Amino acid sequence: MTSQTYISMPSYTLNCRMSREAAALERLCQVIRVRGFRIARMAVESAGDHIDIALTLEGTRPISMLQSQLEKLHTVAEVTPGQASGVQVQTA
Amino acid sequence: MNGAQHILQAFHRHNISTVFGYPGGCIMPLYDALVDDVGVEHVLCRHEQGCALAADGYARASGKLGVCIATSGPGATNLITGVANAHRDSIPMLVITGQVPSGLIGTDAFQETDVLGMTLGIVKHSYLIDDANTLPAIMAEAMALARSGRPGPVWIDIPKDLLLAEVADAPFPAPEPEENSHPELTQALAMLRAARKPLLYSGGGVSLANAEDQFRVFAESSTLPAVVTLKGIGNPGKHNPWNLGMLGMHGSRAANRAVDECDLLLVIGARLDDRATGRLDGFAPNARMIHIDADAAEINKLRPADLAIRGDLNDILTALTDALVHRPLAISEWQTQCRNWHTMGGFQAADNEEPLAPITGPAFIRQLSRIAPDDTVIACDVGQHQMWVAQHYQFDHPRHHLTSGGLGTMGFGLPAAIGAQFADRQSTVINVTGDGSFMMNAQELATIRRYNLPLKLIVMDNQCLGMVRQQQELFYNNRESQISLDDNPDFVAMARAFDIPALYIERTDQIRRGIETILAFNGPMLLHVAISREENVWPIVKPGASNRDMIDETRRTSPASKEHIA
Ligand SMILES: Cc1ncc(C[n+]2csc(CCOP(=O)(O)OP(=O)(O)O)c2C)c(N)n1
Ligand SMILES: [Mg+2]
Repeated sequence: MTSQTYISMPSYTLNCRMSREAAALERLCQVIRVRGFRIARMAVESAGDHIDIALTLEGTRPISMLQSQLEKLHTVAEVTPGQASGVQVQTA
Repeated sequence: MNGAQHILQAFHRHNISTVFGYPGGCIMPLYDALVDDVGVEHVLCRHEQGCALAADGYARASGKLGVCIATSGPGATNLITGVANAHRDSIPMLVITGQVPSGLIGTDAFQETDVLGMTLGIVKHSYLIDDANTLPAIMAEAMALARSGRPGPVWIDIPKDLLLAEVADAPFPAPEPEENSHPELTQALAMLRAARKPLLYSGGGVSLANAEDQFRVFAESSTLPAVVTLKGIGNPGKHNPWNLGMLGMHGSRAANRAVDECDLLLVIGARLDDRATGRLDGFAPNARMIHIDADAAEINKLRPADLAIRGDLNDILTALTDALVHRPLAISEWQTQCRNWHTMGGFQAADNEEPLAPITGPAFIRQLSRIAPDDTVIACDVGQHQMWVAQHYQFDHPRHHLTSGGLGTMGFGLPAAIGAQFADRQSTVINVTGDGSFMMNAQELATIRRYNLPLKLIVMDNQCLGMVRQQQELFYNNRESQISLDDNPDFVAMARAFDIPALYIERTDQIRRGIETILAFNGPMLLHVAISREENVWPIVKPGASNRDMIDETRRTSPASKEHIA
């Protein structure tokens, strides 16, 4: 690929606390994908009986829509949004 | 007590008396426990998809939890369509599948599939049991979860060895009910009073919340003109003078017009699905919107609400009713306007007076609606016949109309009717199906016979996949592609092979006798109705277009189509 374009894709951070049940992470990732977002960065840390996940997400839909879908997951205890930013994303 | 016995005991504790299932290797311990259990009726269907859809129909008709059971691998994968169907329509369901023994998971063992992974997107929640001692808590949680808030299917996958393992049985306390107060109600009332053209828009959420009665009282006492979604049909009752019927793609002109012109939309238990709204930017363009729903994620999902209230519909509707009783809304001009639209643009189909004329779908359904007893449950399949039922049958209660709304699953009707008949053995249950849909779960005729269910089957046979043919005609230059079913089997002979008597009709003057005969018969019976191949469902909104751009009938079915029904 030679030509590179720079588009401004909205980027968001979300912090998510969830229980350590089987498939908890898969569920989270699936909802993110199905609702129209891409994971740019993901840090997972387990602490006791729960896990904390710090996400950087890209997508053109309102992030509040994703947040309310994530909150519906039985395994998700809490979702807190970070700062929104119009990050320059490099796409080939 | 082992895991399998515990599952049955949990059924008893939660008043689950009927389950639908199919045995196999990894679920055999549960079937073994069933031998000694007389309190749970296990219904053996002939395909796991039939089990799941029957459990779904049972739940829809009764408001109770639907339960289905299958073995690992192919048993579990066969359930998937039925579970997805329940998920898309928010039906409370518990799914239990056997899994290969714990030690074999991940070894590609015989009949191993990753059921948990495969079904993540079609369940409200799911569990893979990895410790028998967690089973009691998980069973209790799963049954509560399936029914609470916005209901849905919950799936428990349990390895065979854990079905056999000893389980310490401890009863679990029921979860505390949510306490809700709704300060937004004052504002909702102010908006209603300020509106000149308010419209009530209700969906399947009303019966999901078991708020049918309270909704009826509100709709009648508020005198609000009302439209319903496919799943909201029956909410206002058939005698409500302000009911404009179904809106959307195959909705009435009157309903779509009212949405187009209203200045306030009061949305109750509906999620603004694209089949209902048409193109969103042309939907209710002049209206503010109050959105009342059990699911917070539906609020502002597709159209921002000016006011949102999340919570129990019964509480909210009671409060709204009380407030309006003392001071009714002054909207008589708007009511008159809506009634005029309804007179001019409600669903109409002339009864054909010509006795020898071929039968048309709408005329048949209108006759059925007049003849069938008031509390008849109609389980539809998917296609043109489904829309004719939605348009022309007068439903007085949402639980009388079982239809696959969100997923649109052909093959839903027959097993759903079986489930509905198990929910109430005395009620009249009719499966209205098409020649295409009927063949998708026809094996369940054997289930009807086995349990001697008195349900009635009506096959509307247009010798084609009519709904697809219609869209090919209207939107693909009439280029017919793979829709012909002119080599259908002889449905009458087929029913008889299952020891179910059947009758064939093809002329208008045979409709009444046909319907009366099957209804009067003491046992299951099938009515094979030949209808014209060329009939379309009118009106229609082109997928992706605005509801304002409904297309009306462009051509009456010509007598030439007669040759197709010979
Ligand atoms: C399982 C499944 N496969 C395909 C479809 C697409 N589809 C929707 S309606 C329809 C035709 C249904 O034919 P029939 O049951 O004869 O009903 P008709 O429209 O002729 O009344 C098809 C193929 C579907 N909804 N479900
Ligand atoms: Mg057909």
